[in-house]
Amino acid sequence: KCPDPRPNRNVTGMGVNFATRFFKRHQGFNSVKLDRRFVHSNFHVARILKIPDLDLCFTTCDFTSDASSLMIGTHSGEVRVFHINDSTEDFNASCSDSYINNIKCSQNGRMVLTSSTWHTPLSVLWSVENKQFISKTNFDDEEYVEFSKLIQDKVLGTKGEKATIYDINTGQVIRTLTPTIFNQYNKNRATFCPTDELILSDGVLWDFRSSQQIHKFDKLNNTLSGVFHPNGLEVVSNTEVWDLRTFHLLRTIPALDQCQVRFSPQNVLYAFSIQSETLDDEHVYESSFKVLDSYDYSSISTTDVRKSIYDLAVNSNGCQIALCENQGGYESVSESVVRVYTVGRKRDPEDDPDEDDEEMGSDE
Amino acid sequence: MAHNYIVTAQKPTAVNACVTGNFTSETDLNLIVAKNSRLEIFLVTPEGLKPIKEVGIYGKTAVLKLFRPADEKKDLIFILTQAYQAMILECKYNKERDDFEIITKAHGNVSDKVGKPAETGILAVIDPKARVIGMRLYEGLFKIIPLEKDSSELKAYSLRMEDVNVQDVEFLYGCNSPTLIVIHQDLNGRHIKTHEISLREKEFVKVSWKQDNVETEATMLIPVPTPLGGAIVIGQESIVYHDGSTYVATAPPIIKQSTITCYARVDTKGRRYLLGNMSGNLFMLFLEAETNAQGNLYVKDLKVELLGEISIPECITYLDNGVLFIGSRHGDSQLVKLNTVADENGAYVVPMETFTNLGPILDMCVVDLERQGQGQIITCSGSFKDGTLRIIRNGIGIQEHACIDLPGIKGMWALQVGIEDSSYDNTLVLSFVGHTRILTLTGEEVEETEIDGFLSDQQTFYCANVFFGQIIQVTPTSARLIKCDNKSMVSEWSPPQSRRIGVVACNQEQLVCASGCDIFYIEIQDGKLVETSTIQLEYEIACLDVSPLDDGATKSDIVAVGLWTDISVCLLKLPTLERIFTEKLGGEIIPRSILVAKFEGINYLLCALGDGSMFYFVLDKDSGKLTDQKKVTLGTQPTILKTFSSLSTTNVFACSDRPTVIYSSNHKLVFSNVNLKEVNHMCSLNAEAYPDSLALATKNSVILGTIDEIQKLHIRTVTLGESPRRIAYQETSSTFGVITVRTDIQDSSGLKPLRSSASTLTNNITTSSNLPSLSRPAGVVSVEYGQEMEIHNLLIVDQNTFEVLHAHQFMQTEYALSLMSAKLGEDPNTYYIVGTAIVNPEEPDPKAGRIIVFHFSDGKLHQIAEKEIKGACYSLVEFNGKVLASINTTVRLFEWTSDKDLRLECSHFNNVLALFLKTKGDFILVGDLMRSITLLQYKQMEGSFEEIARDYEPNWMTAIEILDDDNFLGAENGSNLFVGQKDSAATTDEERQQMPEVAQFHLGDMINVFRHGSLAMQNVGERTTPTQGCVLYGTVSGAIGLVTQIPPDFYDFLRHLEERLTHTIKSVGKIDHATWRSFRTDQKVEPCEGFIDGDLVESFLDLSREKMRECASGLQIDNNGQKQEATVDDIIKIVEDLTRIH
Repeated sequence: KCPDPRPNRNVTGMGVNFATRFFKRHQGFNSVKLDRRFVHSNFHVARILKIPDLDLCFTTCDFTSDASSLMIGTHSGEVRVFHINDSTEDFNASCSDSYINNIKCSQNGRMVLTSSTWHTPLSVLWSVENKQFISKTNFDDEEYVEFSKLIQDKVLGTKGEKATIYDINTGQVIRTLTPTIFNQYNKNRATFCPTDELILSDGVLWDFRSSQQIHKFDKLNNTLSGVFHPNGLEVVSNTEVWDLRTFHLLRTIPALDQCQVRFSPQNVLYAFSIQSETLDDEHVYESSFKVLDSYDYSSISTTDVRKSIYDLAVNSNGCQIALCENQGGYESVSESVVRVYTVGRKRDPEDDPDEDDEEMGSDE
Repeated sequence: MAHNYIVTAQKPTAVNACVTGNFTSETDLNLIVAKNSRLEIFLVTPEGLKPIKEVGIYGKTAVLKLFRPADEKKDLIFILTQAYQAMILECKYNKERDDFEIITKAHGNVSDKVGKPAETGILAVIDPKARVIGMRLYEGLFKIIPLEKDSSELKAYSLRMEDVNVQDVEFLYGCNSPTLIVIHQDLNGRHIKTHEISLREKEFVKVSWKQDNVETEATMLIPVPTPLGGAIVIGQESIVYHDGSTYVATAPPIIKQSTITCYARVDTKGRRYLLGNMSGNLFMLFLEAETNAQGNLYVKDLKVELLGEISIPECITYLDNGVLFIGSRHGDSQLVKLNTVADENGAYVVPMETFTNLGPILDMCVVDLERQGQGQIITCSGSFKDGTLRIIRNGIGIQEHACIDLPGIKGMWALQVGIEDSSYDNTLVLSFVGHTRILTLTGEEVEETEIDGFLSDQQTFYCANVFFGQIIQVTPTSARLIKCDNKSMVSEWSPPQSRRIGVVACNQEQLVCASGCDIFYIEIQDGKLVETSTIQLEYEIACLDVSPLDDGATKSDIVAVGLWTDISVCLLKLPTLERIFTEKLGGEIIPRSILVAKFEGINYLLCALGDGSMFYFVLDKDSGKLTDQKKVTLGTQPTILKTFSSLSTTNVFACSDRPTVIYSSNHKLVFSNVNLKEVNHMCSLNAEAYPDSLALATKNSVILGTIDEIQKLHIRTVTLGESPRRIAYQETSSTFGVITVRTDIQDSSGLKPLRSSASTLTNNITTSSNLPSLSRPAGVVSVEYGQEMEIHNLLIVDQNTFEVLHAHQFMQTEYALSLMSAKLGEDPNTYYIVGTAIVNPEEPDPKAGRIIVFHFSDGKLHQIAEKEIKGACYSLVEFNGKVLASINTTVRLFEWTSDKDLRLECSHFNNVLALFLKTKGDFILVGDLMRSITLLQYKQMEGSFEEIARDYEPNWMTAIEILDDDNFLGAENGSNLFVGQKDSAATTDEERQQMPEVAQFHLGDMINVFRHGSLAMQNVGERTTPTQGCVLYGTVSGAIGLVTQIPPDFYDFLRHLEERLTHTIKSVGKIDHATWRSFRTDQKVEPCEGFIDGDLVESFLDLSREKMRECASGLQIDNNGQKQEATVDDIIKIVEDLTRIH
């Protein structure tokens, strides 16, 4: 092995401090990775969404495709739609009689999928017109549903280890995928790959066209089946990153243990630990979300929110994220809000009493 | 909707890549240079590089490779663009058109719908046997294109490559199957690995050999040709040769200073390589080989030798005979020669030729130093040791050396009198109404004199040295032949019946005189003028020319004539004067000056009219036929055309109220204005004291001067030897302030500059001492021995001499980031104000900084005030006599108090990092690191900022500008431009707070700076093109361009023209124009909108008449409110007018 060279990074290389690379960018050096890390180290609360007088518990949320509104599911089965711009409720709809645990907005902005916990139909495809939710298709038994990725003409439902693909327009079943050897992950959520050619369900990889099982990944945890990386090459299954072509284990990321993963178009991924219903109220939940570089899974930041995180959504351009944050234990939520964070903004210097003691005339 | 016109004024100059090979023919040695979206093809000749062709590509070149398919005798080019368009190009000579043609042999888009673009950039390599092209475009994948003969489609397929963080790839020589070698990195370090590719199975089949843990900074691979084979691995401190079994390493101390970035192989055996590094050092790497006991050749040792200093290289290619081309991105590109012996400085490298590069343009300012209504750009160009200031001016400069007050000159000629054996002129003949004066040039002295035999009581029409040691003088009454040696008149010719001569044309052997409608052809012989033929034309002769066309010719076979009354041009054959061609010009303006000239091998006839316009044609010398008529407006007054030579090429000087030099570039006539207000007459002058000069007659004087190198934009270089970063102009002190950065190295006695440069070479140097309150952050106090530090300076530079008058050095960890010159509050002084940051390398962004107010007076820089701030001041703007600064996430306004102190008035917080600021009235535009642009308004009454509108798209900004009250221009780091528009009339608050992107354009080059201003002369008559405002931009690759606003109907017209041009002009590589100009980022692709691609529109002028007609057909033009079909000439006029704005 050759000797490690003495790094002389402050002249030729890219520095960690933004000021050292400000002009390097202008000289044509690539500083994208460090800039991305810089931006995703800070999150600023832009909006706090809540309904003051109602005792609501927000359980899940998703941005509408134009990122102007947020759809929030509640434990009582309603969907509340908020304008992000002025933090006001736009309209609401009763979508279920029970706890809504999943909401997904379509890219064209006209459809919404909801899933709830125990009353049939568990999942429903809604069309949203003139502030009205109109039921389009009921998926009676599907515990979790999502849209196909590249072209949203299909709905993929999950019930236990079984995955079912529906045509979005007719509601007809296109395929049902039941693995021959199942893993029975507690929280199996069948999902399409970015090109809609593959499906991952219960730790098994399927070819959508032929409905063939291609591969069963080793089961190394009990909860999460896994999600596709948007690069189309990898599956992130709990702490494991699997290669989609060779099925080799590429790396292990301990930080992702028991974490739900949301990918941002800004080439980062957000991870937050899932609330487990079996834990008792006194249990101290991990209440932070992490940001990892989606190129190399290196850790960028961890943001403490001091509340229980029920869900995290990333808007279509990755500039805002929303978190369902609930105070108190699972059965005794004392305060429930959805906070919208602006990616990259620091807390105002004014919030910090140490700084800017001579400030005056601030507009915020 | 926004309507903008964007056009390049200075094409990119930074070199991305270069290759050498036999491209234009089997025997031609060519150099091919890629400059962003342009390709330049040169022929390598013993006299130097000869430009052959320049090709525009609808894409930024990411990879340029030359290869030779099996059984071929000529090379092909492979190009891969940043947008993943691949193409294979061939060059063929088209005999018919006497031009080289670029043929797209194969092309294809090799992008993937999903996939993450690799962060170490696009890499592409071609197998040495030209069997396959390999590309690493996306993380985790390797694409291959099998090179099949006669396939016009480049189809790529992907192989999974598990090696992550791939630094470099190459194909090895001498392998049965194409074999790749890669440097990749994991948590343990960097490793090299080979992959054999099976073309049949389209898979990586095996790893032949690998070597884990090569140097942690190994960045580059050099494959070694057979018989040796294997590869060289270049690291930061070591160089390793490896072929799977042999492993030889060397770690010469001389390479440690800097990172080696490029190489060139010298010989085909692959023993000698040239290496270039980021410091601009050139090394020779030599593989010492021996034959072992088995009779096999193996590498025994590696030798590295420093050859000398060059521009910081981006790419190097070996041409021939020890000559190299150095392509540079940070400095000028060069042609250098390697000598076998070192010069007195120990250098083996001798520079031969320099190719100007403005890139990267970090900052620029637009000033009118000469107060002629014409802006000049001063740029901060280049990086590190190749840092320069460049003064860029449109048009051609005349450097005035002498000036003689003499009003009323009607003609001017330079002569050699009595010094026949000399090549210098020593006499200037000046003609006035009714008399002629003669000036003798003795050294720098100018004296009036008389020559016997010369008629001085008449106006001279023409005067010159002619054959047989004679001088000819033509006056209104006669032509006189005077012997040089005895100054006696030996022959005289007068028109019959004592008629007066009206116009004259002459060369060394031939004289053509016209009187009324008659033309007389007279041959100049030894001691006599012989009238040979005469002809009467139907109208009076207005102008004549008999210039020889061929190189070195002394006589002509044709006479060009311009006629009164019917406003026509005709060509007469010599010696008979028979008419061979007539062309009616149309209109009522009389031709005033006619000229035939040969530019770049093409014969032209130019005819200037009385209104300052000029027709030009391509002339067939034998038939006299005129084709390809074009018309251009040069000035508003009658124009006189004269030829002159500059650097052995023919150029034409058009004397008028707007003097213009006409020359040819890329087989196209170019009209470039001269930095003089008015020139009535001119002649070439090559006197001993004024060599290669021009004599120019203005209204009241004669100017003797030299002319700049002929090019449209004139660039002057001021070498700094360190990186310039910000520039500001201060009119009151006639200086420029320039922020520069140099590199110092820690040695036993402290920090020492690595080399002498602008900030170390001046006499006045001051230093910011470390302030106790801004104590250096912990952790950086101890500077390691040998560690390099960036030292920031403010230089004060004289506006005329560009001499550094003062250098102020900032603290050791203090970065100067912003600079302005401003008057503040009631204070009468003008100050230089600098914004800085105190940098701790371990922290993500600075926590402290300063705003410092300096005053430059009496040749010294004084610090007047300083304000400590809590972050980095990235931008400074003067705002209503106050200081507006962007500091980390905030925008802050500081007042200048009466006791000369900066006091914070108000702040705005809503940014990731506020990097850029621009203002107009009460409005402030803020450019953010990631969050695009925001418009603020300053509320005077409340003394606060209000956020008016914001663009909510994520755009990583690199430059911003305010176009007008509603339109805001932004450039982002994906090489795109957009216009955000404020909608004050929107009905809801929500809509008003948005600044939607109403115009989008992909430039393909990253813009670092926008400035309002113009390069074009401001006082030039009327223009037909309705453009409004002008914003100049400077880019990373050294291009300068402009954005101007146009009315909607003109936009629609140009949009249609653009559309037609995309069909008429076949793009190299078959890339769709719309695809090229689409706004493209990692996240989205959206069609170009709201911008007219001026580069495409102006290429209309390069088309043949026939193609022009094809484009024009059916195009509607608005003529006084009436739509009508546009003629080719209408469009030429519009497009030519558009070319005049830059």
